[in-house]
Amino acid sequence: MSTLKPLQLTLAILKPDIVAQPHIVRQIKNVILRHGFYFVRSKLLTLTRAKAEEFYKEHDGKFFHNRLVSFMSSGPISVHILARENAIAEWRKLMGPTKVLRTIYENPECIRGQFGLTDTRNSTHGSDSPEKAKCEINFFFSEFDIQVWEINEAPLFSNRKVEFDPVKGVHIFVDPK
Amino acid sequence: MAAPLTTCIRQIERTHSPQILQKLKHVRGTLTWSCLVQILRNASYATIRLRKQEQRKNQIFQYAGEDAKGADRIYVWGNATTGALGIKTYLRPKRYGQHEILTQKKPARLRFMDVHKFKVLDVACGYGFTVFAVKSNTGHKILGCGINSDSQIGFHEEPKNSGRILEYIIQPAVIDLPQNDPATLRLKQVACGRAHTLILTEKHGVFSLGNNAYGQCGRGIVEGEIFSKKSSIYKIPSLPENITKVVCGQDHSFFLTETGEVYSCGLGADGQTGLGHYKATGIPSHVVGDIRGEKIIDIASAADCVLAISEKGDLFGWGNSEYSQLSVVTDATQVHTSRHLPFEKLGKIVKACAGGSICGILNDQGQVFVWGFGILGKGPNLEMADFPREIPPTLFGRNELQTDTKVVDINCGLSFYAALTDKGDLYTWGKNKWGCLGLIYNKDQYFPLKVSLPAESKMVRCGVDHMVVHSKSYC
Repeated sequence: MSTLKPLQLTLAILKPDIVAQPHIVRQIKNVILRHGFYFVRSKLLTLTRAKAEEFYKEHDGKFFHNRLVSFMSSGPISVHILARENAIAEWRKLMGPTKVLRTIYENPECIRGQFGLTDTRNSTHGSDSPEKAKCEINFFFSEFDIQVWEINEAPLFSNRKVEFDPVKGVHIFVDPK
Repeated sequence: MAAPLTTCIRQIERTHSPQILQKLKHVRGTLTWSCLVQILRNASYATIRLRKQEQRKNQIFQYAGEDAKGADRIYVWGNATTGALGIKTYLRPKRYGQHEILTQKKPARLRFMDVHKFKVLDVACGYGFTVFAVKSNTGHKILGCGINSDSQIGFHEEPKNSGRILEYIIQPAVIDLPQNDPATLRLKQVACGRAHTLILTEKHGVFSLGNNAYGQCGRGIVEGEIFSKKSSIYKIPSLPENITKVVCGQDHSFFLTETGEVYSCGLGADGQTGLGHYKATGIPSHVVGDIRGEKIIDIASAADCVLAISEKGDLFGWGNSEYSQLSVVTDATQVHTSRHLPFEKLGKIVKACAGGSICGILNDQGQVFVWGFGILGKGPNLEMADFPREIPPTLFGRNELQTDTKVVDINCGLSFYAALTDKGDLYTWGKNKWGCLGLIYNKDQYFPLKVSLPAESKMVRCGVDHMVVHSKSYC
């Protein structure tokens, strides 16, 4: 049993090019579930340009900053808190490299290799470090307290007392009966 | 009794064919009259049969009349999940127990147009949807099928007034243009981007529908606008009358006038609008830079890199250059002003195509040149080329038997190419996602290979993951 290893949280975003194609959203969610991730919280929202700029402020000054921001604020995005052991690294591995036009040849099995369009329209986003994950989760889910979750809910996830609810799009707790 | 039989046999031996003689030789000693009659009868049947066979060999069957013209045929292949192929039974199988077809790896005929007697004028492929401009008995019509999550193929409510608005349309459905007199509408061309559609009419200007998050529909950007389930179709107001061509990139649009001027709008974050800045704009404006003063005859852009050709046969480019597409003039990854690309020894360029990381051009001699990054069609390796390199014409069917074959059109998706020859053959190569090359298998294709089509191809259009060919049947 994998109950001993602590669960890690990461933030995953399905970008506007994917949310515009509902059948791909379904496929990606299935891939995520198949790889043993738990959906802790989910949200569908549209970023304003100012919000997107704030979210990507670390990339400020890079040549792709402007197109990334305008792309992220161009339509609805689907934001998820995912939980798994070693979630950050695993989710980044599942997503694949950023440069889609290269990834389709070098790593065609990953999510970006399958569903990405171009380097900008690259399907998904994932946190790259535990600190960034904390920060990004706070950015989108200000009502969500990671410490409270770790005490109250994490054990239930670890003991697999949860199941996926396709209507809500998150894992819910199974009745102990 | 014996004497006449032998004389008779001798006579037969003199007159009849070698086959009969062969038979007679076997039974010579034990021959009776009845036996001989039987042999002769069989022999005459055999000769008749042989004679008929010979006649049939020489006969040429012409099932179609001498004046028969080829009929229009539409072939589609690629990703069928969204309904972009327009074949209803792929997603709603006719019989119980039949499976859905989600990828169509070889050309499939779209019978819808034949059944409804629509003559296809133009086709455009977007990301998961297809738009057809057709001529019917009652006038010109626009049809669309595929994904409709940004209202890129119009407003379809089924049943009427029920509030059930379709997000996927799996067989071509009519898009109603806002027209007082639909019978007089004349369509010229259609173009599709990632999630928007442009419709060029003869006298009524350009209509746009779909996603306008970057102004690609030629109207002002409204922050937070929701595009799904919208019924509005806009006529782009600020354009000149004499538009001859509309071209869509993923999230930007170009309008080409009769005099060779280029207007653009939409996403400019990579400089793909060529307006001298990196902002998104909803008002079509003149592209700046080296193309000013040149008469542009064609523009190509499937993703974020743009190539344009002048009447003199010069090549111009702007937009994204992360994969050395424009490295001949600059090392920058983004170019916001049109630049003349001074490639040498290419001849007069007549056609260009530009995908995500790949570029291609065609000159008036029918030679195809490719550069960029990816499967360029020059061998079994991924390649990075910063100047155009020729694909040998032999690969496009120029051989001892057909010395005059030449390529007349090239086209590309994000990472695959398609080329059309004057003999009506279609060649495809590149990344074979979802079977979009139509080559029956799923593997990537590293050099041009002929698609087996039972018709003569006239026009090819590439989407992100599907392809549509307009062709004429052989008879």
